[in-house]
Amino acid sequence: MSQSESNGKPKVAFFDFTSCEGCQLNKLNFENELLDILELVDIVEFREAMDDKAEEYDIAFIEGSISTPTCIERIYDIRRRAKVLVALGQCAVSGGINAMKNAMPMEEVQETVYGNDKYLFPSIPAMPVSAVVKVDYEVRGCPMSPPEYLHVLKSLILGRKPEIKDYAVCVECKLKENECVLEKGMFCLGPITRAGCDAICPSNGQYCTGCRGPVSNINKNGAVEMLKRYGFSTEEALKRMKMFNTNELEKEIKWGKE
Amino acid sequence: MGQKIIIDPITRLEGHGKIAIFLNNKGNVDRAYFQVPELRGFEKFAEGRPAEDMPQITSRICGVCPTAHHIASTKALDDLYKVDPPPTAKKIRELIYSTFMVEDHALHFFFLGGPDFVLGPNAPKAVRNILGVLQKVGLETGKKVIAMRRELRELITEMGGKVIHPVLGLPGGVSKKMTEEVQQRFVKVGKDAVEFALFSLKLFEDVVLSDSSYVDIITSDAYTHRTYYMGLVDENNHVNFYDGQIRVVDPEGNEYAKFKPQEYLNMVAEHVEPWTYVKFPFLKNIGWKGFADGKDSGIYSVAPLARLNAADGMATPKAQEYYLKYFETLGGKPVHFTLANHWARLIELLYAAERIVELAGDPEITGDTIRILPDKTPREGIGVVEAPRGTLFHHYQTDERGVITKANLVVATQNNAARIAMSVDKAAKSLIKEGHYDDGILNQIEMAFRAYDPCHACATHAFPGEMPLVIEIFNQNGRKVTQINR
Repeated sequence: MSQSESNGKPKVAFFDFTSCEGCQLNKLNFENELLDILELVDIVEFREAMDDKAEEYDIAFIEGSISTPTCIERIYDIRRRAKVLVALGQCAVSGGINAMKNAMPMEEVQETVYGNDKYLFPSIPAMPVSAVVKVDYEVRGCPMSPPEYLHVLKSLILGRKPEIKDYAVCVECKLKENECVLEKGMFCLGPITRAGCDAICPSNGQYCTGCRGPVSNINKNGAVEMLKRYGFSTEEALKRMKMFNTNELEKEIKWGKE
Repeated sequence: MGQKIIIDPITRLEGHGKIAIFLNNKGNVDRAYFQVPELRGFEKFAEGRPAEDMPQITSRICGVCPTAHHIASTKALDDLYKVDPPPTAKKIRELIYSTFMVEDHALHFFFLGGPDFVLGPNAPKAVRNILGVLQKVGLETGKKVIAMRRELRELITEMGGKVIHPVLGLPGGVSKKMTEEVQQRFVKVGKDAVEFALFSLKLFEDVVLSDSSYVDIITSDAYTHRTYYMGLVDENNHVNFYDGQIRVVDPEGNEYAKFKPQEYLNMVAEHVEPWTYVKFPFLKNIGWKGFADGKDSGIYSVAPLARLNAADGMATPKAQEYYLKYFETLGGKPVHFTLANHWARLIELLYAAERIVELAGDPEITGDTIRILPDKTPREGIGVVEAPRGTLFHHYQTDERGVITKANLVVATQNNAARIAMSVDKAAKSLIKEGHYDDGILNQIEMAFRAYDPCHACATHAFPGEMPLVIEIFNQNGRKVTQINR
């Protein structure tokens, strides 16, 4: 990667759009690595911990989804000034949990929250960053996985392409020798969700909610059939698959809608 | 000619905010608005989903206090299925919750709100951040803070899987037992946390309380509001973060109401203003009287300042000592100084740390019964906790299958929204005179809301948009003359 002239360190910036800012805080939590990272890069923009600003970036990390007209203006401006742009966390990668509202009429969403005052507050569907500008790399998860983020950052500093996992959470879950969550009688999206989280939720007695989005080659009909076999209706299966993945499912996956 | 100042995005807070300041033709402040320009709509998209997904969905409202939403939601599910979790599960939940409170309060004091005090409100903005704090307090101290927060987070991760968006709570209990090895780690970290809290309080006394210019700022009229105060209390009327009844005191400090979380709709109503996405809750029986303080206005406040005012004391010994000292120093109960939130926050940090030691030392916490399976037909459930930023309500209604038909969330920062709006307005009016304002003054206006540690991701739990802080300045004709981006 080409580097800024000032001190030879790449300029790295972080921006947040509509999100819970958990990914951003996850980065403040790398205390051990933080000082090492600061040796290698110049962090030029990071609102939650700093007050200062800069003009252009070697790497721009984008957190959150695009959900207002101003978001669109801002992301164009950032893309114009960024050599490499990375979507950080599921809101930026796919729209994430915010996109749940896309499955409903926008007016209804506004009305539920603001009643008769709904027209005072304009809103657009929650979109992934890639719906508006070119995204070079992705770090998935809700919140984004810290080791994966470090891997992407290190790779970019070294000038190579980061490797991203593309197999199911089930693989990682099996390696941990967990009892199958579906066999326990709970719902689980492990079979179709992209690995990389180290199967945290099933390992802690919970079920997979699909927060890293589907693997790229899921067997769509097979997934619904499997969940039906475990006693979940098509309707429930689809509803729960959409928790983090409304945009993907609405876009490519039409099963269950015939 | 008049002007309008807008501070947008506001820095060093969680979520996004915008301050618009309107100047009149003398250059004095006509009105300052604190706006939250985004809507996410969690209440709507919860509809039609299985209630058991709610602890996962609602934790995504906020990456700063996911644990608060997660636990409030889990408690709402207990209430929904009318199941009383076993003692071990309750203790595990409260232990994790106390750990989270220590971690979160430490984050605010050292990373977000502290820089204004430790470095001074007029320090150049390039140094007014955590790195500047580290320089001022010394690297050794800095390392202590960092190590402490790391240990706390590792333990939350141990029990909750992730520190951001944990997966611990299930209706009727928790998902994971505590081993004796983990229990011992909690005991150790709890003791360290008590030391850390005492160290933080000493730092506050040395840097802030011993400097009369700071004390003057804290007690100045610009940062004072006489409102009602709300907080969760235990059976002895001591501050409790995890459970209890809600107590409200009036601006004189007398008990106005004490009620079960399930009764909140009888007590609280919400008001909408056209200029912000936040809804303003107020005390229903007193009524919405506009942005005014005093006994006749239904505006109330939550968070550390309010919790200490609303309670009669702290449940742990060291925190109680500081509780008494706090009111003695600041002139008795209730304390109305917004900036006293910072001190109150550290006293709560000490309480939470002492609570970790108590709970982790309880042999019952490693018990085997961690969940009672719900078997009742669900209908309606309400769960309340004290989030770091104040009282947090989760309220769900479901059909007989447990599918959500209606959800209502009243979030901490929202409970504080009216007082925050007043604080920003008052600080701006007091500090900007005859059109004169500089970075230091604008930062002092930001301090008026930063003291509440406001979280607008939470306050709107709602969506479109981004929203760090911008200050815009408008003249009396409404034309923008200056914009300062933060």
